[in-house]
Amino acid sequence: MAQSNQPLADRMEPVAGSGTPIVIAPGHTFASVTDKISSIVLTQRTPVGYYIALLTAAGLAGLLLMSLSYLVVKGIGIWGNNIPVGWAFDITNFVWWIGIGHAGTLISAILLLLKQTWRTSINRFAEAMTLFAVACAGIFPLFHTGRPWLAYWLFPIPNTMSVWPQFRSPLIWDVFAVSTYATVSALFWYVGLVPDVATLRDRAQGKVAQRIYGMMSLGWRGSARHWHRYETAYLLLAGLSTPLVVSVHSVVSFDFSVSILPGWHTTIFPPYFVAGAIYSGFAMVLTLAIPMRVVYGLEDFITMRHLQNMAKVMLLTGLIVAYGYGVEAFMAWYGGNYYEGFMMLNRINGPYWPQYWALIFCNVIFPQLLWFKKIRMNVPMLFVISIVVNVGMWLERFVIIVLSLHRDFLPSSWGMFRPTFWDWSTYVGTIGLFLTLFFLFVRLLPAISIFEMRTIVPEAKVQEGHGH
Amino acid sequence: MAEFETATQLVAAATKTREAGYVDVDAYSPIPIEELHHAIGFPHTKLPLMVLIGGLLGGMGGFSLEYWVSAVAYPLNIGGKPLVSWPMFIPVTFECTILAASLTAVFGMLMLNKLPMPYHPVFNVPRFAMASRNRFFLCIEATDRQFDLDRTREFLTSLDGAHEVTAVAN
Amino acid sequence: MALRETAEQIFPELAQKQRTFLLAGAAGLVLSAVGYTMNPEQFFSSYLLAYMLVLGLTLGALGFVMIHQLSGGAWGVVARQSLGAASRVMPVVTLLFIPIAIGMPHLYEWTHADVVNADPILRGKAAYLNTSFFLVRAAIYFIVWNGLVFLLNKWSKEQDETGNLELPLRMQRVSAGGLLLHVLCVSFAAFDWVMSRDPHWFSTIYGALVLVGQGLVAMAFQIIVLAWLARRKPMSEALTPVYLGDLAGLMFAMVVLWAYMSFSQYLIIWSGNLPEEIMWYLHREQPGWIPLAIVLVVFHFAAPFFLLLMRGIKRNPSLVTKVAMLVIVARVIDLFWLIAPETHHEGFVLSWMDLVLPAAMFALWVGLYFQQLRQRPLLPLNDPQFEEALGPAFAHADHGTAH
Repeated sequence: MAQSNQPLADRMEPVAGSGTPIVIAPGHTFASVTDKISSIVLTQRTPVGYYIALLTAAGLAGLLLMSLSYLVVKGIGIWGNNIPVGWAFDITNFVWWIGIGHAGTLISAILLLLKQTWRTSINRFAEAMTLFAVACAGIFPLFHTGRPWLAYWLFPIPNTMSVWPQFRSPLIWDVFAVSTYATVSALFWYVGLVPDVATLRDRAQGKVAQRIYGMMSLGWRGSARHWHRYETAYLLLAGLSTPLVVSVHSVVSFDFSVSILPGWHTTIFPPYFVAGAIYSGFAMVLTLAIPMRVVYGLEDFITMRHLQNMAKVMLLTGLIVAYGYGVEAFMAWYGGNYYEGFMMLNRINGPYWPQYWALIFCNVIFPQLLWFKKIRMNVPMLFVISIVVNVGMWLERFVIIVLSLHRDFLPSSWGMFRPTFWDWSTYVGTIGLFLTLFFLFVRLLPAISIFEMRTIVPEAKVQEGHGH
Repeated sequence: MAEFETATQLVAAATKTREAGYVDVDAYSPIPIEELHHAIGFPHTKLPLMVLIGGLLGGMGGFSLEYWVSAVAYPLNIGGKPLVSWPMFIPVTFECTILAASLTAVFGMLMLNKLPMPYHPVFNVPRFAMASRNRFFLCIEATDRQFDLDRTREFLTSLDGAHEVTAVAN
Repeated sequence: MALRETAEQIFPELAQKQRTFLLAGAAGLVLSAVGYTMNPEQFFSSYLLAYMLVLGLTLGALGFVMIHQLSGGAWGVVARQSLGAASRVMPVVTLLFIPIAIGMPHLYEWTHADVVNADPILRGKAAYLNTSFFLVRAAIYFIVWNGLVFLLNKWSKEQDETGNLELPLRMQRVSAGGLLLHVLCVSFAAFDWVMSRDPHWFSTIYGALVLVGQGLVAMAFQIIVLAWLARRKPMSEALTPVYLGDLAGLMFAMVVLWAYMSFSQYLIIWSGNLPEEIMWYLHREQPGWIPLAIVLVVFHFAAPFFLLLMRGIKRNPSLVTKVAMLVIVARVIDLFWLIAPETHHEGFVLSWMDLVLPAAMFALWVGLYFQQLRQRPLLPLNDPQFEEALGPAFAHADHGTAH
């Protein structure tokens, strides 16, 4: 029964009759799906562990607040940035966070367009993850300006100085790309939430909760006309988000590639950055989903099938990233440009060689374990790989940024970068902020899309006359 | 208003209702049902067209802004590049297109749906809370030309699978 | 039932068409042989253009066969046999490479020792760009491609006949590794055969661009053929508007991908403005080449993009066929834009051979493709997804497996 209701495109494993893992455990109905997911928010008692985790995360977020306050007082000299390494942890973290955000949009938009219904149980929290990651990402360039209160200069706002942004700079493209991305992701997420918040409104016991969810649901009542326009709008948003998500990381890659710095200026950067973003994003989704499904007993909804498919996406995007490294190294030699060649040798054998080789290990070598089905079916192993990839993708950005900057064209302008306490505290602080927001989200809103889960339950099929 | 237990029953009932000549009909369901808007005789929405227009306007607006800022309002020589470096204007043009189109999609959908609408008569039916869980409802509105409280109630009751037929107070 | 019949039995006219196409192709090739005696330089440039076209039709199909093995999807069940037939032209495509090997001195500047010796950059690349290593690499590519085509088609035929459940798994395994090798081979073939026409120039995205171009031309061709095959059963039942729309969606995705990559490359090189890179675009800014670039923007991107946005077009066989034809023509123009300016640095030149050779080679290829297509049924009977993808369409058909 569950099998025949799965759309075909949904089956990533076309192995006949070998018990393909399924997207939702059998036996679920509209009512059970609704009750199970909404109970996390509405009725289940909050475990003590939750508060401990939330407090830890909030403590780290406090560290972020402290670091940023000190930065505003003292200036960005508290970081290890210097000349020539003007971009370091800040931009590394920015790119890392933005990249993580990409999986959310990818899962919700691209997989929707590809009719991959397995996305249904992970898209909601992946979208939330996108929003929080983009928020964390935004902090870095904002504070890297040193005067965050003047950040509005980045936008084309008429002002008494008659000064306008410089549209030939990729940094301005970034402003447009990231703010569009944040807006559209928020819209996409909220639109998806509306019918579910209506469910919460109808099921909440407390007056306050009813009022709040009632306001958030905008008076949604599930009318057929509304559903029709809603579905159209949702699909259109998915269609718009898909090129958007590609464009955002492409624009981030332009920050580097439109310059002429060896290691930055190379034409493969846009697609290879996008693949890397999806790679790290899926790694982060796994890092979050694996503990969440255990803690909240969501194994029925986030099945092995989901974990396996995400592992496969990671393997694929990881290989694309490896292809990027390979072609880049080949062209550094083939191109015959002396500085390009030096840049490559400096990565392999320069003062930052441990970082470079750690990156190769984390991103290229270790994840090859995912070729084996045994590993893909092993949840703790998947968790380990996802964390290794997260580390690897952070190192990749560090290698690209710091290694190209610290060896300028002239040896007289060579330097080194060493992170300070404040570099680390800001970085760790954003992880705290991210987790805090995530914990709050899991507690206050349905972490899995209820109405979309209903659509994959067998009940959802309208029978034509006699059943098939 | 009548309540149904399955999507199949609701679609069948909606089709019959339309065939019986009722026009001001609405159906409520916990999931989107593709067949349903045909069943209640609802035409295709013009939302895609609105989004296309919104996107085009956004894109043109973005490019014009860049052109005006770079060539007219604040011309600067940057690395010897032409004032109108069109390849470098494409990314922002693209982002503006997407932004405008997405805003049109969301707010256009809300506007056409007349949302937010905190009060609606159907909420007065206590069991309607189940419409966001696992029940399906069909509502013939009093504004319909054929509406007659008793006859309409009889008609709804006669539908296959209908139960809990209620009159909705305004 | 029609399901077990080969394409030959369903479309007896294919034999006639095959002959016509083969004859037209042969005639065109003979005609262009005259061109060789007149202007060998031009002949080889046009030949490379024609060759890259048919290579794309073949390898793009091979790529899709492997992608379908890995990802599944109804579109692949419908297109699989035809894609397989296209990939089976590979042995002949391998033979067609011989003229390029012979024409190397005309095509590639770096084959001339005096040029290389006078140029320190080219001397630096000599370890890679030299005649013998070039040929060794080509041999490796062809071994990989032919090997994959052979294995996948052999098993596919076995699957048609026996329905052995081991086979899908085996094909999947080979496709996973095979796709990896395929991507590497196509990339380096693109560097060797086309990019090294200007031995100073390089672009890391080049391999990916050629890959996407191959996928695009192959998919466009498949759409045309499948829409034509859908005049009769069983394809008329199998190629539902939704599945046709899926195939058109893939074509749309590649149109967009091509535009994205081409624009990124242009933007990065244009803004960097480094002498070794920008020369490639400067050659294409010579008189006459810019209008061609505009033609590409309009017909390789804008027109198919907006047309394929519309679901009504994507799902309409006759309309989508027209778009696919446009795409194939645009692909040829794009290949022309990549290859020809290296022969004509001074400005736009269109030789008659640039028209005759691609047309002849295309006709030849189509003839060979029909020959392959005729031999097998049009639908993969024992595909594990057959029931799910096409079950409703053939609910009453007798398509039981042989065992």
